Amino acid sequence: MGANTAIAPELAAADKTKIDAIVKKFKDRQGSLLGILEETQKQNKHSYLAEDVLSYISFKTGVPLTRIYSVVTFYSFFNLKPQGKHNIIVCRGTACHTKGSKSLLDDVAVLMGGEKELEGGEPSFTTADNEFTVRTVACFGQCALAPVVAIDGVIYSNVTSLQLRKLVSKISKGRN
Amino acid sequence: METKNLLNVKINGISYKVPKGSTILKACKEAGVDVPTLCFMEEVSQNASCGICVVEVKGGKSLIRSCITEVFENMEISTNSIKVREARKMNLELILANHPNDCLNCLRNQNCELQTMAANMGIKEGRFVRTKPMDLIDSSSLSITRDPNKCILCKRCVNVCANTQTVYAIDIINRGLKSKVAPYMDKGIGNVACTNCGQCALVCPTGAITEVDNTSEVWNDLQNTDKVVLVQTAPAIRVAIGEAMGMDEGALVTGKMVSALRKMGFNKVFDTNFTADLTIMEEGHELIKRLTKGGTLPMITSCSPGWIKFVEHFFPDQVDHLSSCKSPQQMFGALAKTYYAEKMHIDPRKISVVSIMPCTAKKYEAKRPEMMGGYDYWKAKMNLGEDDKFYDIDHVLTTRELARMFKEAGINFAGLPEEEFDSPLGASTGAAVIFGATGGVMEAAVRTAYEVVVGKPLPSLDLKVVRGFEGIKEAELDLNGTKVRVAVAHTLKNARTLLEQIEKGESPYHFIEVMTCPGGCLGGGGQPIPTTWAIRQKRADSIYAEDRNKGLRKSHENPEVQTLYSEFLKEPLGHLSHELLHTEYTKRGYFV
Ligand code: SF4
Ligand code: SF4
Ligand code: SF4
Ligand code: FES
Repeated sequence: MGANTAIAPELAAADKTKIDAIVKKFKDRQGSLLGILEETQKQNKHSYLAEDVLSYISFKTGVPLTRIYSVVTFYSFFNLKPQGKHNIIVCRGTACHTKGSKSLLDDVAVLMGGEKELEGGEPSFTTADNEFTVRTVACFGQCALAPVVAIDGVIYSNVTSLQLRKLVSKISKGRN
Repeated sequence: METKNLLNVKINGISYKVPKGSTILKACKEAGVDVPTLCFMEEVSQNASCGICVVEVKGGKSLIRSCITEVFENMEISTNSIKVREARKMNLELILANHPNDCLNCLRNQNCELQTMAANMGIKEGRFVRTKPMDLIDSSSLSITRDPNKCILCKRCVNVCANTQTVYAIDIINRGLKSKVAPYMDKGIGNVACTNCGQCALVCPTGAITEVDNTSEVWNDLQNTDKVVLVQTAPAIRVAIGEAMGMDEGALVTGKMVSALRKMGFNKVFDTNFTADLTIMEEGHELIKRLTKGGTLPMITSCSPGWIKFVEHFFPDQVDHLSSCKSPQQMFGALAKTYYAEKMHIDPRKISVVSIMPCTAKKYEAKRPEMMGGYDYWKAKMNLGEDDKFYDIDHVLTTRELARMFKEAGINFAGLPEEEFDSPLGASTGAAVIFGATGGVMEAAVRTAYEVVVGKPLPSLDLKVVRGFEGIKEAELDLNGTKVRVAVAHTLKNARTLLEQIEKGESPYHFIEVMTCPGGCLGGGGQPIPTTWAIRQKRADSIYAEDRNKGLRKSHENPEVQTLYSEFLKEPLGHLSHELLHTEYTKRGYFV
């Protein structure tokens, strides 16, 4: 498409080499953009796609930056911010909302001191020590089990505030 | 038409034969049955997001969106059943639930597809509660304002930006209730590679993307007795403002426009056509110089600021192909604050120059840092400091804003007498008015360049090969034995094709005209809404009619331009021209 600037965006040489290899690997493959983004995020230490990384991918692939941004914001799988070692995802779909998922979210946020870091009006943050990421998802599609929280990929159903505290303290052992 | 390509359908009980492959919507339209639509726009968007166009199909379980569903043999369609009407109404009410109740405060009030639809369906108050959070208004651009709260997610803007302009400045981001139109990282459209063309605003059905409104600044200057307020009108205004004031599409209203502007209180009513003629003098000589003495070829026109920004962002290595001439708007501003100020003994700081443009990008062009020719000219002479800095152009209004001001002033436009532009920046030739249509600058340049080089006038002044709405037009001219190949492109998509040729070293041309907007300025992003191809054609017809009716049709014959050279500039491409009428370009990345 070539809808990009001819000026190469700035990025550390090591990162460029990594992305060059990934882009090469996916060359001419169906759905290559998704693959490239996924692989790039996987290779990142904090499992996220930084802004300059996206610019560089756009530059290399010729896919407009806005299209890339559209894709990474559509799939909840992609992260635009550094992720903690553990992630806690609170479902904010209608069913979960009705069953009180907002107060679950607020509870963890207060517990981890991230209640002021909002995205779209709701807490979404990574702790300063990069241990935890707390964020929301539009809907897990598990509405019958509402409210639903996923911790490190495991889905917990009918979660109560107390239960959530316990789960969190289990993984945060050894952390002050 | 062969019958095998026709299908039998029944619409509201009546049988029709319709072409295979048509959508239900199209089939109904051809049968003379109107189906209301909101998000759909022919040739632009088929996003099927509003659900207003639903119809009932016999045997179908649910209602069907007619804008995207194709007809099949023996389909029985009902476009007006109670079920259909109720569903349409509910879909509209759902959209309105998340829509601010803000018509009185909205630039699209009384010219809004959503408002009209609500009125047509008799919706008076909302039944549903808001489900989306309110979003911030994006006022980062000098040209367009985006209010995501008024967006119905029809995707027309996204498609025009991507397909017509190949700029891709905006797209839909997020999913579900959080989806919205946004530039990269939601940074603000003024902070990313957007060309400010305003084509998105022209297709938006609502007030979600509009021109930046500068009318109050202009009212302020008009009320300020210390100011001498000059106005210039671009070639494409005279064929569009009448339309916005309730007259026929494409109505040619030059004289009425002049008289309305006087009524509003402008001290002098001048014409951008004057500097369009001047542009031909400068650009024509620049071309001849590049052809004979060497210089980057092909040379490309530089009157269209969206196009300039496009090259700067996406093809920064090709900026040398752009003519160094400022646009007619900027040449006018620079001369108003030097030549005119000097001649009339007016302090240039007291002059306010207002431009009426068909274009949102002109608002941005006027505020480019290099557009201070007048200040630079007077700096030493008047001992001016940093605090005295002034732009050559003070305010830019689009055709739509001017129409709003006329209405606010209570001007009965259609009933006004015809008046003439003021002198000395008001005279123009037929070559200038055609700047408003794609191909016009080329035609005007050829009329003059031919005569300068060959020494006698072109055999026929009507250069028909470069007229019309073909995406890319080409021609070959014989200038005293030298073959000169020219091309004309409108829309940035077509311009990109020619630029990519240049980038590869395969361009066969010497001179290229590019206009950012479909049809040229007459289809500019600041023109009346709607602007369809049929309307563009009527505006073009009026432009060529004005050209035919002008006594003088070649730029170099403009008597006031001749006086300007003898009294002030001395010669094309001379020292003063270089200072005031020519400019430089910036190599940009994505964000600068
Ligand atoms: S976009 Fe239309 S409906 Fe919405 S506030 Fe503006 S005029 Fe009213
Ligand atoms: S102004 Fe033009 S370039 Fe900018 S977003 Fe709108 S259509 Fe795209
Ligand atoms: S901004 Fe306007 S054109 Fe773009 S999607 Fe929203 S309503 Fe449609
Ligand atoms: S017009 Fe068909 S869904 Fe909007």
